[in-house]
Amino acid sequence: MIGGLEGSAADHSALLRSLAPLLRGYYRRRTRGSEDDIEDLVQETIIAVHTRRGTYDRERPFTAWLFAIARYKMVDHFRRTRRLVPLDDLAEWPSEDSFADAADARMDIEQLLGLLPGKQAAAIRSTRIEGSSVAEAAAGAGLGESDIKVSVHRGLKALVARVQRDRP
Amino acid sequence: MRTEDLIDSLTQDVKPVARHGIGLRLAGGIAIGGVGSVALVAAMLGVRPDLGFALQSSTLWMKWSYTISLALLAFAATARLARPDSGRLGWLWLLATPVVALASYGAIELASTPRAEWKAMWLGESWTSCPWNVLSLSAPIFGGLLWAFRRFAPTRLRAAGAAAGLASGAFAAMIYCIHCPEASAVFVLTWYSLGILLATAIGALLGPRLLRW
Repeated sequence: MIGGLEGSAADHSALLRSLAPLLRGYYRRRTRGSEDDIEDLVQETIIAVHTRRGTYDRERPFTAWLFAIARYKMVDHFRRTRRLVPLDDLAEWPSEDSFADAADARMDIEQLLGLLPGKQAAAIRSTRIEGSSVAEAAAGAGLGESDIKVSVHRGLKALVARVQRDRP
Repeated sequence: MRTEDLIDSLTQDVKPVARHGIGLRLAGGIAIGGVGSVALVAAMLGVRPDLGFALQSSTLWMKWSYTISLALLAFAATARLARPDSGRLGWLWLLATPVVALASYGAIELASTPRAEWKAMWLGESWTSCPWNVLSLSAPIFGGLLWAFRRFAPTRLRAAGAAAGLASGAFAAMIYCIHCPEASAVFVLTWYSLGILLATAIGALLGPRLLRW
């Protein structure tokens, strides 16, 4: 985001791209609309993030800003389509904060994985995040099982070292 | 349109964003509107002929301290509400400070004036037109703020509209001082504040309609 604010088109484009799946998940969980509706909302939100990026304060958390926009767009969408959302469901909605935290965590993980060599990152992603077994991951990547195990092990070790180094 | 294509077309041209973009843009909007209000005073009401003399008197500065402190607080509130994550606004109680200060000043003034003159002091010469003049002068400034808001992302539209109305009313009252010859604190406290409140109420009414995005 900061890169985009300073005028880096590549950073900005990477940010908007990473937001699309995040927002899709956010709206899918909350609107029960058709896929077209959800995609409309996602696009509207991305346009707003782009045109109104000047309202982001660099000292404050990005996700709070993002989901405030996403929420506004959703309320606006309901108002326009005049659909009522039964109040009973509200309690079951995952709270704004938990979603923002999860999104934060996901972005952190992606950032950390980006620091690893591609093979290690892919191995960790499939076995530890997507939940495949070592055998499935090996078949998917066309590698041996021991290769996957070694990659996961080395990758995690590098990440632990990295995170501990960053911590003051 | 596919989302990927949309992102591509949006990121064709990414301009850098200034660090204090909101404040600068708000100040720009107020400045443009303020020029309009000053022109309105000069053309319709006339600048008070003794302005040079009044600049050396304490009453003009009493009026300016009141209106400018309100205006700056309203400016800060508007800048907050221009963001989607506007956060807490509890500090808005600070708005009471200039009001209380002026009220105490007014009380001292009344105490040193014979009771028979109180009514004349309170109503002055222009109590019937003062609130309406302040309200009219706030219109150009409110327009300037609406322009500024076109790039903002308020999520509490009514509050944002009220804050913009308050800011435009307070800045308008500040400008109105270059015309208005009234000198008593109770006059300012009542009739200036009434004009500012009217502007705030209209802002709150119009906010949800005009600030949608």
